Amino acid sequence: MVGFLIGEAIRDLKRAGRVAVSAIVLITLSLGAVGAFLLLSGNLGNAVATWRHHLRVIVYLKVEPSTAAATALVRRVQELPGVGAARYVSRVEALESLKKVLGKDATAAEGLSANPLPASIEITPSPDGATPEGARRLLERLSALPEADDVAGGVEWVDKLARLQRLVTVVGLAFGGVLAVAAILTVTTATTLVLHARRHETEIMRLVGAPEFTVRLPLLLQGLIQGLLGAALALVALGVSHHFIAPKLAPLMTVALGLNELDFLPPIQIVAIALAGAGLGALGGLLARGRRDI
Amino acid sequence: MIELHRVCKVFSVGPIKVPALTDISFRVAKGEFVVIHGKSGAGKTTLLKLLYRGEVPSEGEVEVLGHDIGSLGLRGIAALRRHLGIVFQDAKLLPGRNVYENIAFVLRVLGAPRGEITERTFDALRAVGLHSRARAYPAQLSQGEAQRASLARAIVRKPSLLIADEPTGNLDDEMAGEIVQVLRDIHAGGTTVVFATHQTRLAASLRQRMLVIEGGRVVKDEG
Repeated sequence: MVGFLIGEAIRDLKRAGRVAVSAIVLITLSLGAVGAFLLLSGNLGNAVATWRHHLRVIVYLKVEPSTAAATALVRRVQELPGVGAARYVSRVEALESLKKVLGKDATAAEGLSANPLPASIEITPSPDGATPEGARRLLERLSALPEADDVAGGVEWVDKLARLQRLVTVVGLAFGGVLAVAAILTVTTATTLVLHARRHETEIMRLVGAPEFTVRLPLLLQGLIQGLLGAALALVALGVSHHFIAPKLAPLMTVALGLNELDFLPPIQIVAIALAGAGLGALGGLLARGRRDI
Repeated sequence: MIELHRVCKVFSVGPIKVPALTDISFRVAKGEFVVIHGKSGAGKTTLLKLLYRGEVPSEGEVEVLGHDIGSLGLRGIAALRRHLGIVFQDAKLLPGRNVYENIAFVLRVLGAPRGEITERTFDALRAVGLHSRARAYPAQLSQGEAQRASLARAIVRKPSLLIADEPTGNLDDEMAGEIVQVLRDIHAGGTTVVFATHQTRLAASLRQRMLVIEGGRVVKDEG
């Protein structure tokens, strides 16, 4: 029976001809678009994660504390929620760091009559403290410290990157969604044509008392096959594009986002795209309606 | 086997009501051969459609093989039809499949085992004398052969009741005679047969119970 149903589905697919091919192409385009946006979004997510890992929040102190007071202050800061690690940076150490950063221009710093840099606490946020909301609360807590003169953190642009990542995901899903609706309608049209072409078979099946699922299942299966073919083509196209384009974009990605390479879709997203293809096709097959004459 | 009680069928064409059958009552016992005779448009096809639930009665009750036709759902319709064999004036063979595949198709959609499909298909083809034409496609068959293939498809499941709606309508006398002989053989095997025809001489030659329909009413029940 299963062999018969699959055989009928393949026969139906051949009958649908060009319309079935159009449906497969549309499914490929819609899932390819979603996949491309997911790929972009995933790599932006990697960049966000990398930069969050390197994120530092600096608490500039009003006055340089004694060694004991600095140790106590670091301990207090470490106990605050959202703090991963905290390190005291004295005024001298801060000046030395500045000189290192300035390199051959360090002589400019040596000309200063007094060290203008304040002592500070350098904080690495914990994963909780590196989220946009966690970082906001951490900055509030650190600003409330009586010793704090100013608090600075590079969370804003990481947040912007995170927002861009979300935007890319939403645009991708919306764009893919529109194409997916078109794909469903095309599969439905293909299946309706098949229904018309196989009306004699359907009539005979109903006359001999075939269960309704035997009549409908080949239609659903042929939609499912179209969907899986579309998804497979989309994944192959994405894979080939990634293989050839990713190495060329790698230097740009390193400079712009700090990523060594562009990752391909993770296995769960590959499976999700395949399932989405099957689902789109099956839904198209399910939505097709023919006349029931007998 | 079959029982109709005060059955009426009215078709609505917009606001206009067209009566097709009026106050029909009769019984058919198991193993009978009943000829439904009437001119074209008398209501024969509508009456037969009521028997396989191609239509529902507007009034009255139709019971076939213990099923109340008026209250059958999709599953009930399928269950009823699995015990029926139906043939039409048009053989309704699937053009893309050969004779063997047309008949085997019925068994395949009903999930019969592969070995059983081959055996029963050839049994049915032998019963109608068409086994030598198993590989022929419908376009290669004469009208008589096509109708015999249609009969083979109807009997391949060994139905309790065979409903034949003008199967000889398109055939010359010789071919019609062949079909009628096949129907007699099927009846002799124990199948109840309801055979509709507009051909008066053919109907009379059968020497079976005959229901005569005129204007949607049974006007004679003889034999």
